[in-house]
Amino acid sequence: MRLFVLLMLGLLSSPALAFDLADLQHRLGATQGLSGRFVQTRHLADLDTDLESRGHFTYQRGKRVVWALEQPVEDRQVFTPADARAADDAPGDTGSDRRRRQIAALLLNLLDGDWQALERRFSLTLSGDATAWQVALAPRQAALRERLAGVTLAGGRYVERLRLETADGDTLTVRFSDLQPLAGSDP
Amino acid sequence: MTRPAALGKHLARLWGLVLLAGVVSLAWQLRDGLPSDTRLTALLPQDRQNPLLERADARLGRAFEDRFVLLLDAPALPRATADLAERLSAADGGRLLTRLDWRDVDFADSDPAAVLGPYRYRLLTPSLRQAIEQDGGTSLVQPALARLFSPGGDPEPVADPFGLLDRWLAQQDDSPVSSWQGLLTVRDRDGTRRSLLIGRLADTPYAPSAQQALTRALRAFEAAHPDARLLHSGLIFHAAAGARQARHEITTIGLGAFLALIVILLAVFRSPRTLLALLLPLAGGLLVATPLTLALFGRLHLLTLAFGASLIGVAIDYALHLQCERAVQGRRFHLRPLLPGLALGLVSSLAAYLALALAPMPGLRQMALFAAAGLAGAWLTGVLWLPRLALPVHPATARIAARWWSLTTPRRTLAPGWLAVVALILLGVIAWRLTADDSLRLLNPSSSAQLAEERQVQSLLGRDTGSRYFLVTADDEPALLERLATLGQRLDTASADGLTIGYRNLADRVPPPRMQDANLAAVRRLYGEPLATLVERAGLPGSVIDKARATLDSVPRLDVATWLDAPAGTADRRLWLGPVTTDDGTTRLAATLVLNGVDSAAEGRRLAAIADALPGVRYVDRVARLSHLLGELRRHVSLWVGLALALLTAGLVLRYRRQAWRVVTPALGALLGTLAVYAIAGVPLNVFSQLGMLLVLGIGLDAGIFSAEHARRPATWLAVSLSTLTSVLAFGLLAFSATPALHYLGLTCLIGLTLVGLLVPWVRPAPPRIKERPHGEH
Repeated sequence: MRLFVLLMLGLLSSPALAFDLADLQHRLGATQGLSGRFVQTRHLADLDTDLESRGHFTYQRGKRVVWALEQPVEDRQVFTPADARAADDAPGDTGSDRRRRQIAALLLNLLDGDWQALERRFSLTLSGDATAWQVALAPRQAALRERLAGVTLAGGRYVERLRLETADGDTLTVRFSDLQPLAGSDP
Repeated sequence: MTRPAALGKHLARLWGLVLLAGVVSLAWQLRDGLPSDTRLTALLPQDRQNPLLERADARLGRAFEDRFVLLLDAPALPRATADLAERLSAADGGRLLTRLDWRDVDFADSDPAAVLGPYRYRLLTPSLRQAIEQDGGTSLVQPALARLFSPGGDPEPVADPFGLLDRWLAQQDDSPVSSWQGLLTVRDRDGTRRSLLIGRLADTPYAPSAQQALTRALRAFEAAHPDARLLHSGLIFHAAAGARQARHEITTIGLGAFLALIVILLAVFRSPRTLLALLLPLAGGLLVATPLTLALFGRLHLLTLAFGASLIGVAIDYALHLQCERAVQGRRFHLRPLLPGLALGLVSSLAAYLALALAPMPGLRQMALFAAAGLAGAWLTGVLWLPRLALPVHPATARIAARWWSLTTPRRTLAPGWLAVVALILLGVIAWRLTADDSLRLLNPSSSAQLAEERQVQSLLGRDTGSRYFLVTADDEPALLERLATLGQRLDTASADGLTIGYRNLADRVPPPRMQDANLAAVRRLYGEPLATLVERAGLPGSVIDKARATLDSVPRLDVATWLDAPAGTADRRLWLGPVTTDDGTTRLAATLVLNGVDSAAEGRRLAAIADALPGVRYVDRVARLSHLLGELRRHVSLWVGLALALLTAGLVLRYRRQAWRVVTPALGALLGTLAVYAIAGVPLNVFSQLGMLLVLGIGLDAGIFSAEHARRPATWLAVSLSTLTSVLAFGLLAFSATPALHYLGLTCLIGLTLVGLLVPWVRPAPPRIKERPHGEH
């Protein structure tokens, strides 16, 4: 489900899926930096329980993404292009380090607008209008479908809500609030 | 005279029937094309002492045989890669490959967690085990919490609240291959990103059709993408290059030698019909040798063919002697006086070749059989048929013989005493300076550029070549895994102490049962207080604790068979040998631990010492082992040929008495001379130069015998000169081959046969009282 992080962060400032909604594409793609708060709710179907967490994030195009959990546990994850570059040529790495770097690499590909990668894995459907749009992503590969039922994104000016459904009935919902373009980066 | 003549006629007819049978069986054997073999390693001896090693070698080698790897560096990488993949998939009407992996999704079609899920509580990474040992696992609660709430995590609060399996899988995943824009890619230290394509061939890599289809597809791709650069790895590329080189050399060296041969023979005999008649014994030889070899061995080796085609040089000898004699004697020609010399010549060459057949190398045996059968066939064809053919005799032949005789006859004769002194000096030089080289490089026809490319690909992919490994045996699976694990620990200790090697150990994938039990016990500790803390802090319902603990009630042990069946474990199948019968007849289990990055002899010694200190563990350096076998073979060949030579000399002494030295000097002198040249020039001796010596020996003995049998006859000398010259053309020119094996064979023939030609005039018997007058001279 790491793909989820990538999806989410990528779309926060996404410079266009294969949308023909050129307006949205332009608007999302123009963002050079963004910060805000998030609330994440994970519903575990077999336990019928919700796990809720909250925190804040910052994204600077071409520099870094910081995902900071505040509650119930403090945890900060930073992805930088350096991580991505180091992804394959650090032979002394432990496996988990390397995996993390691969995530960073994929993440930054997304952020830098590599939508081909996304379209290879998902078929995209767009609905709504520029002020309230929604995109549904359905996995193309059977192997991915076995784990992931689908992803939905919704928003207006920016992405506001992201919902992910796994094949076993669990869901993950992230709501964004207080979204602010970073100073000096708005067009 | 009538009875022998009638007998000769019958025999000639009978021989015709034999050759006809040869034609028929050859036609039947070749109905699907020539079953040929280009693997030079097929020449190598089977290691009779250790079939287990043979099996381990074959297992480790075969894993790569039908695969090839391409690394592509191109400006628009995704598009170029897709185009290359499409061309490869479509090659040969889609029949070239059974599988091609190049998209990241090609590797994502199976979830390792699905197979390993039930075993996860018995699989702990060393760091997790250590953490639990230190504080019962309290320090693992915080990361588990973070994982539970991280958006990227895939938390399973009941099945795996601490993410044990993820950690385990992350540790197993040591591949440098990463996914990028939907491709599989690797990057080198300079940051160049290359896409990776892995193909699996439908046919063997030696199949010419597969080689050509692949080469065509790659050429077309390179033409369409001039700025793309490909790195190749895989047996098929080496096999294709070897075949291409062989074809190239056959058309240059082979054709050149053939044309020169025809020009010379035409110049001497001035008759195309005679020329054809001279080639008749060669055809007869091939018609006997090829069907017989195919029937006995099933397929012809490339080297047998090269060697066999070179049979021209020897097979034509007999025809040359007959024809020179006939040209000079004219109507006075009779076969009978020539027969003893011809028969002795055949026997000496056969003895030399059959000595080879005693060597324990399948390839050598095939060559020896091919040469011996071909020689016998050529001899019979020459003796039975040639005298019966009415061939034009041109007076120029006799004239050339006389002129050549007077031109090359030395004014003085040679005293055997001097020869002995020179021979002793040469022996001294040889003993002092001659070295031997048994490296496998001789068997490898690939260019050094190709080998460097292969190494580059292997190191980019972090793969081993399976050439250095530990062979581990034990009575049962737990004991075997235990031994592998102990060996792994020793290697880790040595690595910490400066030994820079990598390895792949089955026991890292499937821990020994004792360790799996210990891991489960550790997980039970972790599922005590730390689990309760985690559940409480995460705000999960208390029932999660009981449910999670219940998963530990009956955890199956992971065994080797399960792991090897799992998608992630297929790559390890080559490490598993399973039940094997050892030298003492007992059945044990065996596995290998494959090493990489061993690049110095000191490291090899250190690894061997590690193996020696552990029971049931043996360090194997495949290349060194094969080199050792090659050296053994070389010594075998010298021994057998030496014995054959001693026996022959004894036989020759019986016939020629005090003149025997004249018979053996051309052959022995040429051998000593060649060895001395090698010794002085610093060219090491190898098994292929020894094969060349064998040819020099055969032709040199023929020359000596004919010179002695038909003392001072210009016709004989012309025949000897022609046969030496044709042999130099046929074999000696192989010295210019780029295939190391053929190069050394050819170089030896070039030097040795030249020496034979130079020595013969000096050892002719003393002039007889009555001067013989060649026909056509006055």
